[in-house]
Amino acid sequence: MRLHWARVLPRGLWGGWGAPQVARSLCQRSSRPAGDPAGQAGGDASGDAAGEAVGAPAWRGSSRGVQDEDRGPAAFAAALAALEQAPGRRVGRLELVAAALAAMPVLGVAREREAYHRLLRLLPRGPWVPRGPFQRLLAPFPQQQECGLQILEQMERYGVVPDAETRFLLLGIFGPRSRPVRKCQRLLYWLPRLRHVDPHPLPPHLPPPGLAAARLGLHRIANDPDARITVYQHPVPDEGDNEGSVQPYIIGAQSPDQQSLLARHGPARPVFVEGPFPLWLRRTRLCYYVLRGDPLPPHLREDPPDPERSLYYPLHLDLDLERGPWDDDDFDVEEVEEGPVFALCMAGAGDRRTLGKWIAGLQEANPVLGSTPVVFRLGDGHPPAGAPGGPPAVPPPPAVLEPPDLPRGPGHSGGADAAGPGSGAGQ
Amino acid sequence: MSGLLLRALRAALPVPATLPAVRRLRTAAPRPAFAKELFLGTLRKEEVFPYPEVSNEELEEINQFVGPVEKFFSEEVDSKKIDQDAKIPPETLNGLKDLGLFGMQIPEEYGGLGLSNTMYARLGEIISLDGSIAVTLAAHQAIGLKGILIAGTDEQKAKYLPRLASGEHIAAFCLTEPGSGSDAASIQTRATLSEDGKYFLLNGSKVWISNGGLANIFTVFARTEVVDKDGQLKDKITAFIVERDFGGVTHGKPEDKLGIRGSNTCEVHFENTKVPIENVIGEVGGGFKVAMNILNSGRFSMGSASAGMIKKLIEMTAEYACTRKQFNKRLSEFGLIQEKFCFMAVKAYVMESMAYLTAGMMDRPGFPDCSVEAAMVKVFSSEGAWACVSEALQILGGLGYMKDYPYERYLRDARILLIFEGTNEILRLYIALTGMQYAGKILTDKIKEIKKGNVGVALGEFLSKLRDTMGRKVDYGLVGDHGVVHPSLQESGQKLEENIYYFGTTVRGLLSRFGKTIVDEQLVLKRVADIVINLYAMTAAISRASRSISIGLRNHDHEVLLTNIFCTEAYFKNNYAIAQLQKYADENLDDCIKKAAKQVLEKRAYICSHPLDRTF
Repeated sequence: MRLHWARVLPRGLWGGWGAPQVARSLCQRSSRPAGDPAGQAGGDASGDAAGEAVGAPAWRGSSRGVQDEDRGPAAFAAALAALEQAPGRRVGRLELVAAALAAMPVLGVAREREAYHRLLRLLPRGPWVPRGPFQRLLAPFPQQQECGLQILEQMERYGVVPDAETRFLLLGIFGPRSRPVRKCQRLLYWLPRLRHVDPHPLPPHLPPPGLAAARLGLHRIANDPDARITVYQHPVPDEGDNEGSVQPYIIGAQSPDQQSLLARHGPARPVFVEGPFPLWLRRTRLCYYVLRGDPLPPHLREDPPDPERSLYYPLHLDLDLERGPWDDDDFDVEEVEEGPVFALCMAGAGDRRTLGKWIAGLQEANPVLGSTPVVFRLGDGHPPAGAPGGPPAVPPPPAVLEPPDLPRGPGHSGGADAAGPGSGAGQ
Repeated sequence: MSGLLLRALRAALPVPATLPAVRRLRTAAPRPAFAKELFLGTLRKEEVFPYPEVSNEELEEINQFVGPVEKFFSEEVDSKKIDQDAKIPPETLNGLKDLGLFGMQIPEEYGGLGLSNTMYARLGEIISLDGSIAVTLAAHQAIGLKGILIAGTDEQKAKYLPRLASGEHIAAFCLTEPGSGSDAASIQTRATLSEDGKYFLLNGSKVWISNGGLANIFTVFARTEVVDKDGQLKDKITAFIVERDFGGVTHGKPEDKLGIRGSNTCEVHFENTKVPIENVIGEVGGGFKVAMNILNSGRFSMGSASAGMIKKLIEMTAEYACTRKQFNKRLSEFGLIQEKFCFMAVKAYVMESMAYLTAGMMDRPGFPDCSVEAAMVKVFSSEGAWACVSEALQILGGLGYMKDYPYERYLRDARILLIFEGTNEILRLYIALTGMQYAGKILTDKIKEIKKGNVGVALGEFLSKLRDTMGRKVDYGLVGDHGVVHPSLQESGQKLEENIYYFGTTVRGLLSRFGKTIVDEQLVLKRVADIVINLYAMTAAISRASRSISIGLRNHDHEVLLTNIFCTEAYFKNNYAIAQLQKYADENLDDCIKKAAKQVLEKRAYICSHPLDRTF
């Protein structure tokens, strides 16, 4: 709006081949922030109309297909193909690109390099290349270059590595040593290096919240190759949007080390079921529960050293010498005593009944659990969990919640609820 | 002779019957052994110089045995067939029995040959020409019946040893279980006392038992319930003599092995086997000590056995190298081939020296505790044998790889040496930790003084360090005018002295750095063990070569040459290891090694990306 006058100037005066370079670049810059669809400007109405006529319907059609992600890429490709074939002046391309960029994630093409190439092909080759060193000095075509940078930034955000073709397209549009080309070079430098920077990568497509996601989450927490993941209860129905609406799933993980820890813990001391604790898989929030105990008194934690253990060499030296400070290369960490975690679980519902079924399932592999008192300390998932008279439950954050609805069972709203020996199974 | 005299004197000593509570004066107390003293940086040269001799009568006696045994092995033992059939033919076994080889160390009163350790080592040299027979015999007498021999009662000895000595019965040693290798805590086989208290019921299974299918007498280790001092019931290990005729003893089919294929290795199962209470070896609950003593005493003979094998290999490969021509030159004229022969000769010479030095030490009167030395011999000789066989194969080239020739069998057979009777890794820990324990006991006070900041002791330490840096002359009296080493070995002797001195200071440094947590520093312990093994090997070689020159044995100049070669190489290796030991873990790669291993083990795979992978 601000510089609307620029658009009404005859073409020969502001963008023509005869105009001086500097003037042209200024004009181009001033015409860019006009923001509204280019068709409203005076210029070449027919070309704009054509662009609208072909581009917009296809575009809107694809944006309506948000729910159907499979149709997204095809719709995107169709829209761009139509745009590319549209004859006439290419006005309003910057806005078009900005809108397309915003729509790409919804259409499911945000991780496809070819989609970005198609966007770049929409931009004209040649006119935005600065001519001569002076123009290059004066920050030429800033709006246009900004548009190129936005494309590259979105590629960066989605981890799409540019390739030679990207660079070739950018060179054609913006010329060598322009800001987008440099950005492209930096991306080429960094993105491959950072591709494997995450030591625990998630699969590219996460399953929807449910049993599959829970299995993934447990794998992520219990990162022990020996840990066995057991489905204690299958969800009914077992797929679809309403998975587990009749009967929630229960899935747990336990490693042999945890089993022996639990056996060592013995039936004399209670064990606790605590939770729910949040676990985020990208944007999906899962909740998990732990079975843990209080730390054992020191003399019970390890077997006393047995001199008659190793047949071949001494396991302990009978010396009154400690390790010197020079070879103590550990950091000085103040260790907080925490009880051992015996098992982990994720369930479609967080009530005591469901978790009791988990405990009952655990008893098969851990007979000692049958005679151990199990105490349920279930909070609402927000620390501090479950102190009586604690802060009222805050509504959960706007995210995909798992379990979908936290039941307000007797064990839920706070009070540590002791169950008698073995009664965890019966509930 | 002096040994006999001492024994007679000890027997003649009057026992103070009036004071039964007072400890008797013992003429032959367990002596601190040579190797442990090395950890203190002291050299007990009277233990190893001069090299132990056998008397002329003994020598003649040995040679009487050696002749027929050698003849038997060269004429009647068909090693290739034994290897192919995975079985020692009965007539070969009978031949061995007739030669008395099943009772080499059993005293003559029980029908054995009553050989001393030295003589046993000498015969081992020949027996080792066939790996399967050597292992069968070793499993029988070095471990199988050793329990009866060292801890059995007179009745047990009288009952079992004669038939074992004659080879009528074969013995086996049953310790290893599916879940238990070196860890006695995981032994699951259980012996429960019957209600009348007359016998034990034995239940459980043992794996990888050498001679398991042939044996009639088993030394079995099992858990029993024992009331200990506090009056609590505890599970302890007890050793039993189990006859196959007791019932309930079954064995699986023989294992198919890489090497020593002729020896019988299988699982042995015991099901409600009734073992009379008289068949307990030692006392109930004392099986752990018995097992350890058996294992510790059985190792020293591997040195001479490996040396025997290498000597044979040198003969065979030298024949080949001197006849085969390439480029109009004999193989033996190529430097790289010559190097391999030198390597083999040095290894054979050194392991032979170590083996007979140790055997000689064990034959001395008293109760010499030579378990560390025996372990060192085992580690050195097994690794030397493996390296030498591999080099021999290399000399032969493709021919050595062919099954038509015996070399690949030697290679397969030699591989077990690194594994059985305690793997070399475990024995290294044993060597290093036993020495550290010994040195630590003695050095504790001094180190504590320094740590507390006692100026006098610390100053003394500092001055001695200063003198070390200025270039100290270390003199243990090996070389020089009154030295025990022959002057032509002077340089080797000096190197040995220097290594021993600096090894002592290093051990002291390690003890003050790590204290008792040194048990967890396995990489450090490995270096310590390597150094001390080298030191013992140098000592043995120098001692033997000195003796050879002094009494004018044939080719003693060759011995001097071999000794000097070995000592120079070992000296540099020791110096390098000592320098590494004086560094901290982040400087001598220990940290990096552990970290790399941890990363691999965390993923349980080789985690590097493939060289053809790309990210862009």
